[in-house]
Amino acid sequence: MSELQSPEDRAIEACRALLEETESSETVPRQALSDLLRQFEMLNKKIKRVVKLNDKQQEREKKLNDQLNQQNRVLGSLSQDLSKYLSPQLYESIFHGRTDVKLNARRKKLTIFFSDIANFTAITERMEPEELTYFLNSYLDEMCRIALKHGAMIDKFIGDALLLFFGDPESRGPREDALACVRMALEMRRRLEALGKVWVGMGVSEPFQARMGITTGYCTVGNFGSAARMDYTIIGGQVNLASRLESNAQTNDILISHETYALVKDEVFCERKETIFVKGIPYPIHTYKVIDLFSNIQKVDEITENTDGFSIYLNPDRIDAGRKDVLLEKLRLVTERIQSL
Amino acid sequence: MEVLEIPAGTGMPAIRLDPVAHSHRFAGESYPENTSEFYAPVLAWVERYLAGLAAEQSAEFNFEIVYFNSSTSKIFMDLFFQLEEAAQSGKAVTVNWIYDRDNEAALEYGEEFAEDLVDLPFHLVEKAS
Repeated sequence: MSELQSPEDRAIEACRALLEETESSETVPRQALSDLLRQFEMLNKKIKRVVKLNDKQQEREKKLNDQLNQQNRVLGSLSQDLSKYLSPQLYESIFHGRTDVKLNARRKKLTIFFSDIANFTAITERMEPEELTYFLNSYLDEMCRIALKHGAMIDKFIGDALLLFFGDPESRGPREDALACVRMALEMRRRLEALGKVWVGMGVSEPFQARMGITTGYCTVGNFGSAARMDYTIIGGQVNLASRLESNAQTNDILISHETYALVKDEVFCERKETIFVKGIPYPIHTYKVIDLFSNIQKVDEITENTDGFSIYLNPDRIDAGRKDVLLEKLRLVTERIQSL
Repeated sequence: MEVLEIPAGTGMPAIRLDPVAHSHRFAGESYPENTSEFYAPVLAWVERYLAGLAAEQSAEFNFEIVYFNSSTSKIFMDLFFQLEEAAQSGKAVTVNWIYDRDNEAALEYGEEFAEDLVDLPFHLVEKAS
């Protein structure tokens, strides 16, 4: 008897031996034992075969599972790389099945942000390409980090310019979207000021300063291009308006349209600026310069009042002493006019 | 005897057992929720069919199974041993294990089943594309 025999095989051999030794006269028990042995042998065979088949299936499943895991790792790494070419908001939306990857578009109320670096062309001519690459990427990286923190959809980079919008694929409502956009622009401005100091310390004579424009209105948003290569972007007069607001802004200023102002005026202090006309928009655009959030202003030695028909903002630290008399004369006129009401 | 026909469902193969054409077919995937219950009428039908099958009458059982679970493999073994016994008793039964060229596993499983069968002709047949 082999050492490698299983207990079942040994039992079968023992039974066979027993059958041979059994008296042939004992027909009935002999037949019963013989039948039992045959059934047992068959069952033993089946079990062994089923176990073997099962092992094979498991082995195959494991192999497939390993292949699948490997493919998942490759796909994960690839999609991670590809995601850097997409706005994280869009990437998330596509990966969770909330956005269809097909050519389609819809009208939606969005708040659009446009910014660029003042005097960028002149600055590029004075910088070495390596320096320019480093500072431009640092600038865009910081600005995008802030944009994502506030929930912006990064539409595109156009050289030094940034086009962002709020309200799609996800919206918190027009007012919240507009507020998020203005808060983002203010944080960008503060960060850029801090970065400028660091860059001056690194030897940059003229650190980047931005101009920003913001407007709110209906745009066409969606996938444009061809079925093989598409861009998720916005189209419409409001995009041109955001760009025009940006180009009309002074360095370090955030200029917003009346549509945005109307949504944020309860929380953001703004100064009325000149009215502009934009090609494609059949009415004049009232513009406002964003000063800061009221909640920030009230922390320092400033006076603010902002109601319909009256707006005042006083920050003594920023007033040129030489203009003191002019300002006092203005205030006297304001007082007289209010008293005559 | 009547034809036994079970349409394919989730985890259930399509089965047609035809006592007139003497051609029987199992096709698709087999992982029923309750395998023994699902196959009980099939095994009973085959038992009755084999008992009444004339010695001179040939019968073929065609299996086109692309996936099956462990419980099904036990049922198939039962079925093949039933057919093996019929073959041993002189009945002209054959099994065609039909596999797709791209499904290497199906071929291997057919080879496994064939190993225990001595008298039952068990043919591995590549599916015509």
